Amino acid sequence: MAPGPGARAGWSRRAQYGLFFSFLAAIAGLLIGLGLLALSLVAPGAYAGVRGAALDLTAPVTSGLRSVTDTASGLLSGAGNYWDAARQNAGLREENRKLQRQAIQARAIFQENAQLKSVLALRENEVATVATGRIVGSSLESARRFAVLTAGSGDGVAVGMPVRSAAGLIGRVVDAGATASRVLLISDRANIVPARLLRGGQPVIATGRGDGTIDVRPLEVGRNPFRPGDFIVTSGTGGLYPPNVPVARVIRLDDDGAIALPLADPASASFAVVGRPYEEAALPQAEPSEAEE
Amino acid sequence: MVRSALGRSSRLDRGPRKLARAIPALSVAVASLLPLVPVVADVGWFPETGLLLLLAWRLLRSDVIPAWWAAPLGLWNDLVLGLPIGLSVATWTAAMILIDLLDRRTMWRDYWIEWLIAACLLTLADLARRQVDAAMGAPYDLVTIVPPLLIAILTFPIAAFVASALDRWRLNP
Repeated sequence: MAPGPGARAGWSRRAQYGLFFSFLAAIAGLLIGLGLLALSLVAPGAYAGVRGAALDLTAPVTSGLRSVTDTASGLLSGAGNYWDAARQNAGLREENRKLQRQAIQARAIFQENAQLKSVLALRENEVATVATGRIVGSSLESARRFAVLTAGSGDGVAVGMPVRSAAGLIGRVVDAGATASRVLLISDRANIVPARLLRGGQPVIATGRGDGTIDVRPLEVGRNPFRPGDFIVTSGTGGLYPPNVPVARVIRLDDDGAIALPLADPASASFAVVGRPYEEAALPQAEPSEAEE
Repeated sequence: MVRSALGRSSRLDRGPRKLARAIPALSVAVASLLPLVPVVADVGWFPETGLLLLLAWRLLRSDVIPAWWAAPLGLWNDLVLGLPIGLSVATWTAAMILIDLLDRRTMWRDYWIEWLIAACLLTLADLARRQVDAAMGAPYDLVTIVPPLLIAILTFPIAAFVASALDRWRLNP
């Protein structure tokens, strides 16, 4: 097929000028785009209002359709669970026995801990709940990992607040609209969580890998402290995430760290809780714009 | 005779639909919304449907979407998908200008060449996006963008089909 006549104007002076000005407009559009992009790289907070408003516009659509996909995925995973129910049943029974033993130990430790704390009169910040929302969507077309939460600045959510579910840490708020907000998941490359190993308490750094897993590395150089099955919890360092929130479980070791799987699966967590930052002073630091100004 | 003329729609007096000039751009704006389907995924694999349909329209007809319309369409795409604002504005307009320049050089093109052009532009757009993400503090491996890119390239024929079906529909009611 020959290209259409659009690129060649023929002898008409008017058509030639039309083409030329359209080309100039396209160049101008390109330059404006580059300018906007430079601004959003230098000052990410500059568009907070616009981005929040766009989020408010699109989130109701997503949350309205969420029940449909919930049903569909529930049917699929339900069928998958029936498929090898016998093996799962045996495994779960074994795990249940082990957990019962651990629960008894934990109860004893909990009591002892309470006694010791009352002796020390330790002051601890209560982690306040700001809002509760549902996770309705995620950045499906991008290598970045964001999720959309149905709670916004109208509910008291602000940029930088940590988000968790019953199973563990989910991420932190990066855009807040009036009725919805965007959450940077812990599996995103840009999300770095100060954490510690539950067994032994060694400080580690958890960074997302962009593919649903998390890269954990020890802060101190030395032999690899991880073992498959280890749990990672937040350490509270930095003041943004509250301490002792479960983050991930180690599944594989690599040369000086390990790959872990987030404990809170945003796809199956029906509710997510937005909390206040552990130390209020951490909120401005969590906002990249204010940190750079 | 009058009755038969009234009862059946005439073969004469048939024209394009209302808003026929705006339908291509509107369809791109609607296609930008498709990745908002409420699926929470661990990996981003969905193609950027707005860009796919824009390329399909532009390769189907050179005059339905003027190159500079890509800027407002890209801004819309950035806003609804929560991308860094200006990213799609720049990449989409650059893609339109590149196709304009290519059109001056190519003597002819068939369906395979259109697919090749779309594949190259999708690759360039994804590489640009990777650079911007790295500048925003999220550097990821080159391998990460390969599977979604392959999916996007393989989805292009569907976008081309949608564009041509919409084109027939808008011009011939």
